[in-house]
Amino acid sequence: MTESENNGRIPPGLDRRGFLRMSAGGAAAIALASALPAGCAADYPQAESDGVDLQALTPKEYAVARAAAEALLVGVPVDPAVVARRIDRELALVGDPVREDMKTVLGLMEHLTFLGGRLRRFTALDAPARLAYLHGWRESRFNLRRGAFQAVRAFVYFYAYSDDATRPLTRFTGPWRERISIPATPIDFGEVV
Amino acid sequence: MILQGTRHDGEIRDRADVVVVGTGAGGGTLAAYLADRGWDVVMLEKGGFFRAEDFSQREEEAMGAFNGRRGLDTTVDNAIFLNYAEAVGGTTVHYWGDSFRTPEDRLERWRRERGLEWMTPAELNPHWDAIERELGIHVAEEELFNENNRLVRQGCEALGVEGHAAPTARVGCIGCGWTQFGCAYNKKSSQLITTIPRVSKAGGRIYSDARVERILLRDGRAAGVEGVLLDRETKRPRSTFRVDAEIVVVAAGALGTAELLLRNFQDDVVGRRFYINPHYWVFADFGREIDNVTGIPCAYVVHEWRLKRTAADGSYAGGGYIMLSSHQSPGITAAMLPETGEAHLARMRKFRHLGSLMSVIDEDHPGRVYLDGGVRKTEYRVRGVDALKAVDFLKNASRIFLAAGAREVWIPDIYGTVVRNEAEVASRITLRSVEPNAQFCAGSHLLGTAPLGADPDDAFAGPTGEAHRVPGLYVADGAALPGSVSVDPSLTIMGVARWIAAGIHERSGRAGA
Repeated sequence: MTESENNGRIPPGLDRRGFLRMSAGGAAAIALASALPAGCAADYPQAESDGVDLQALTPKEYAVARAAAEALLVGVPVDPAVVARRIDRELALVGDPVREDMKTVLGLMEHLTFLGGRLRRFTALDAPARLAYLHGWRESRFNLRRGAFQAVRAFVYFYAYSDDATRPLTRFTGPWRERISIPATPIDFGEVV
Repeated sequence: MILQGTRHDGEIRDRADVVVVGTGAGGGTLAAYLADRGWDVVMLEKGGFFRAEDFSQREEEAMGAFNGRRGLDTTVDNAIFLNYAEAVGGTTVHYWGDSFRTPEDRLERWRRERGLEWMTPAELNPHWDAIERELGIHVAEEELFNENNRLVRQGCEALGVEGHAAPTARVGCIGCGWTQFGCAYNKKSSQLITTIPRVSKAGGRIYSDARVERILLRDGRAAGVEGVLLDRETKRPRSTFRVDAEIVVVAAGALGTAELLLRNFQDDVVGRRFYINPHYWVFADFGREIDNVTGIPCAYVVHEWRLKRTAADGSYAGGGYIMLSSHQSPGITAAMLPETGEAHLARMRKFRHLGSLMSVIDEDHPGRVYLDGGVRKTEYRVRGVDALKAVDFLKNASRIFLAAGAREVWIPDIYGTVVRNEAEVASRITLRSVEPNAQFCAGSHLLGTAPLGADPDDAFAGPTGEAHRVPGLYVADGAALPGSVSVDPSLTIMGVARWIAAGIHERSGRAGA
């Protein structure tokens, strides 16, 4: 790609859904996302069996996040349920637009398996098939699908590897404050109420 | 006095000479200058008030507690992570403390293109002298170099590349390495521990957890602000506040300032340009344990390619970025490294073997900030010549690490690109690596959304910092800068804010220099 080929301006007013609409198959995808069944606890029992009181995600979205974590965290000593629970909590606290975008991504991830010729939903695939499906998103020629993959991937890996259980794996020794007591330089802030 | 809105019940009404929205590099510097000279100052901060004992040095806690949108903010296509803080002290709470004066070529451009005649070294040097004294800015000592910094220097020396120890804002640093999650020892000279206490002890009031929603006008002139006090964790409104003042200074960071101005004024200059200095990374596997956790993140900076080079035919010929040695924490590193599953696990097993370098791209093509259904959104695409700069960075950073003895260098793209020698650097690193969402990209130098300039049709505020169309309203933060600084912008923001403060003070006719 040359500079001139890569010099396209960003269309005005383009947001995530705008991106989706622009991309081939995007209009169908957004229509699908709107029509997707929310899923209920009976269809997606993972949150209940994990004992999670969901704050932001639906049982289906939680199950997708958990399934993605199971696929991505091969050999990582962190329970995928811990990661999915953390994602739910963070999305509850951050609010929109991040929360709504992530919920849309998880819904699409569950149901767009047919694009790769798969007949089963994402959560119903086995672990290697889930990873292969995610790689399809990663390598998509559509920016939005790559972006959706990167978002899920970043959530999963960030919350997994900020967990202390991974320290033996990375040989990360942790924050100093956990090991060494060093007094802070005193600061006089005046009155604090 | 510091009043934490999250703990306060009931409405707040206050009056001051000047109300400053934002407590970071710009707001803190300006407020302290005026408070020191007898002005009655109120400062308002959307984020919380955190002290050293609150900084746990845990990345997941820090990101959630004081990063904007809990550290999850991105451009609308999710391609670029936007890194900024919302806390008393602003982004200086998590900045690395790198403190560069504005390069003369940039000041010259802003004088020429924006009519900012005052932007000269002679005018700004006295302010930078004062700020450097107040913050203890000095060239990083050798003992603060971790092994990553030393290896970068070694690679630069082997290649004959220009680099130098970074000027840094810290006093008595013990090199714990946790700068970016808030200094737990009060050694980094953030606004939190420098200007904020000065304002507080001079009689100023700093309200945390206070989100300004409306700029009040009287006869077309700024007259104060009002907004809501927030619950710190949920960000839900708890009560309201109003502050009356004859001078209103907006210094809420390029995103916060743009959002507030867009909510209050019809001015299509606001948010039209949004600079971020795109950050890309390379990781180098040295095949042995190196220390890239302690010390300071960036003790060494590579300046060889700061300015873009142009060939005789006008085409791009390299450069247009600086490189910063970059710090590692496991969660962020895991999110950045390529691959998935077992391949990703194999990379993370080498966490302690990794050196890293980060780009600060001096972009030609800004993005924009706008409101969509009342929600602030950002668009930014690394494109055109800026994509070429990114590729040039990836190649030259790889060369530096290979010259320093790295076994291999990882480009953290979706292709898992690895290079081990010059032939691979030349052939494997291409534009596909920097396409949107092809690798982790971030922006933490957020600038230019309400720029200063002489032309009211192309600038929100005039050369003095006062809004062209609203007397008494000033902008004094990264939003006010006309564009990329080409180096870390914090000292530029502080210098410009202090100059604006001096002008406000001088024009007021009050006594005292």
